[in-house]
Amino acid sequence: MKKSILLVDDEPHVIRVLRLMLEREGYEVASANDGNEALEKMAARRPDVMVSDIQMAGMDGRELCRTVRARYPDDAFPIFVMTSMTASEERAWVRELAQVEFLEKPLSPRQLIARLTTYFANAATQENPHA
Amino acid sequence: MKNNRIGLILVVSSLAVIALVVGLLLKRQQTDQAEQVRAQGLGLVRSLAALPASVLLAQPGQPGVLGSVLAQRENPDFAYAAISGDDGRNLAEVASPGTVVPPAAPLALASFEERAVAPGQNARAVREFRGPLASADARLQLRIGYFEPRTPLDMKDLPFYALIALAVFLLVPLIYIVIKREMAPLAALAEQLKSADTAQAQLVELDAGQDVRDLAGKLNRYLDHTSARIRELEQDSVASMASGRLLEYGSNKMQAVLQCLPDGLLVLDPAGEVTFATGKIEPLLGVPVAEVLSQPSEAWCRDPELRAMLARFRGAGQDARSQMTIEFNPLGVPGKRLWATAQALTGHSMAYGTLVVLRDATREHLARQAGNDFVAHVAHELKSPLNVIGMYGEMLADVGIDDPAVRVEAINVIQDEVERMVSLVNNLLNVSKLEMGSMRPERHRVKLDDLLRDAWQQARSRAEAKNIRLDLQVARELAAVSVDKDMFRIALNNLLNNAIKYNSAGGTVTLSAEEGDSDVVISVRDSGIGMTPEDRERVTEKFFRVRETGDEQRGGHGLGLYLSNQIVELHHGRLTIESELGHGSVFSIHLKKMPALAEGGQVL
Repeated sequence: MKKSILLVDDEPHVIRVLRLMLEREGYEVASANDGNEALEKMAARRPDVMVSDIQMAGMDGRELCRTVRARYPDDAFPIFVMTSMTASEERAWVRELAQVEFLEKPLSPRQLIARLTTYFANAATQENPHA
Repeated sequence: MKNNRIGLILVVSSLAVIALVVGLLLKRQQTDQAEQVRAQGLGLVRSLAALPASVLLAQPGQPGVLGSVLAQRENPDFAYAAISGDDGRNLAEVASPGTVVPPAAPLALASFEERAVAPGQNARAVREFRGPLASADARLQLRIGYFEPRTPLDMKDLPFYALIALAVFLLVPLIYIVIKREMAPLAALAEQLKSADTAQAQLVELDAGQDVRDLAGKLNRYLDHTSARIRELEQDSVASMASGRLLEYGSNKMQAVLQCLPDGLLVLDPAGEVTFATGKIEPLLGVPVAEVLSQPSEAWCRDPELRAMLARFRGAGQDARSQMTIEFNPLGVPGKRLWATAQALTGHSMAYGTLVVLRDATREHLARQAGNDFVAHVAHELKSPLNVIGMYGEMLADVGIDDPAVRVEAINVIQDEVERMVSLVNNLLNVSKLEMGSMRPERHRVKLDDLLRDAWQQARSRAEAKNIRLDLQVARELAAVSVDKDMFRIALNNLLNNAIKYNSAGGTVTLSAEEGDSDVVISVRDSGIGMTPEDRERVTEKFFRVRETGDEQRGGHGLGLYLSNQIVELHHGRLTIESELGHGSVFSIHLKKMPALAEGGQVL
């Protein structure tokens, strides 16, 4: 079964490129323009991984992460946050949130794909260690 | 005057001496007489008391011894003699004429005694000698009274007294003359010394005896020394007064200088108490000077950072090199930022305390913050297009993407983003020039219709790419204006770019110009997304961007309108904005018309 990725960014070019490349890698991609739209999409279908920008009009990335963790406390799917700042600068607000990782801009789509591949491989090993 | 007094004193004292001598002599005489009377009285009583009463008392036909012994006495002091019983009855009495025998007092002891009898009316005081009769059965007492002696100034003594008085009186002028003679040089000395208390003390000159001359000599030396010392002291006093004034003037001047400094100053003694503070500390720390003076820092300082620094400098353990600067927000004045520099005041191996300089760093702090914000903002603005360019670049490099449509799209996006970055960088440079003041309009007379036509031509390709119609409505002959052509082009381009950027496909943008009586109005009207009134107020602020809704990205960076507005203001014009959300906006530049061109003027 295809792994589903939810892309959240208010920059359509970013969504466009990531969608093209992730779909080619065999992921199922949904996208949202801002935090509120992302929550709507999530209510319809929970993604396996969420990739979100931070600076967005409407609900921004930080608020989205907090809302997601509060709304689905038992389903801590990983969130990759794309930031213009360095990861260390963003540590403060993310401290109490589980499974949030950072992708520094400028973002390399291939790097994102590599991170996702690693994550899903690890997750599969943990679920089925003898496979 | 003085001599008169001495004379008077001499007369009075000689009279007193005479009175004393006479008094003593009289007293002596009186005592002698009393002794004599006592011896006589007591002797008589004793001898008579030894006789039997029957002999003493007169018997019928036979006079008693008492009567015969005493009746004929010629002593003028004799008062009376009596034999009395205890009951006070007189058995016999002999009295000098005119004398009444006083009643007898009971005789307590069987011995001889005397008593004073107070004088009766018109009578003289009497001294009574009495004793018990030996023969009788002690019930009878013999009493003999003598008059107390009168003040015994005898006429015969008068010449003697007069002689004494004369002798004393003759001594007085002699003493007087001697004293006066001895006093004369001293009086002269005193007279001369009177002038010595004036500034110019003269030396004492005297014609007198050796000892007084010695005294005068010593006095002269003393006066000499004293006047020299006084002159010295006076010179010292004048000098010290002058230097005192100079010091006071210097101190006042210094204080005025310190009070005028823009920085707040505090001077603390080694114990940490404030000994000096300028008025500037109140606006800086929010604490009045009166609350600070003579107080330890704990009493007035609310800022923990400043307090910690002052505590470090307390005591004498600091050397002259120790200096420390802190930066903090004073609790007393919200929004302020201060630098406080503490410097130990030492010299000549003494610690005088600490100097604290407080400087308002609010502006520097805000500037630094604004600079940091600016850099962060620009970095973000540059990262966004870079991010997109990077991602499309990576996608193009990916061998797996071979769809030609995707390739064309990628190249277009990359070109757009590069253009966006170029525009950002250009505007940044222009803003920087503008803010540094190095962007000064070089104004020339410019034909406005040509300028507008150029701008319209440049913007057309961008408008067509987004399927937007760009109209130009300019009269052929417009009044000339005085502008910097290059700068004005930047302003126009930014307005046109915005009108295209915040428009939708199929929309229109109209560039027009109208000529009024005194000004020319250039308008850029679009059929775009428009703005709320709140956004319209702020849209010319640096880095302000309208919150975008909807799918489409406009790619604004918040500098274009800011720059346009600044450029228009540099040309003494103004930029007005009308806008309605969802229906579009009109940006209008109002420029003053140039006065009629003088002959030979150049039009560019």
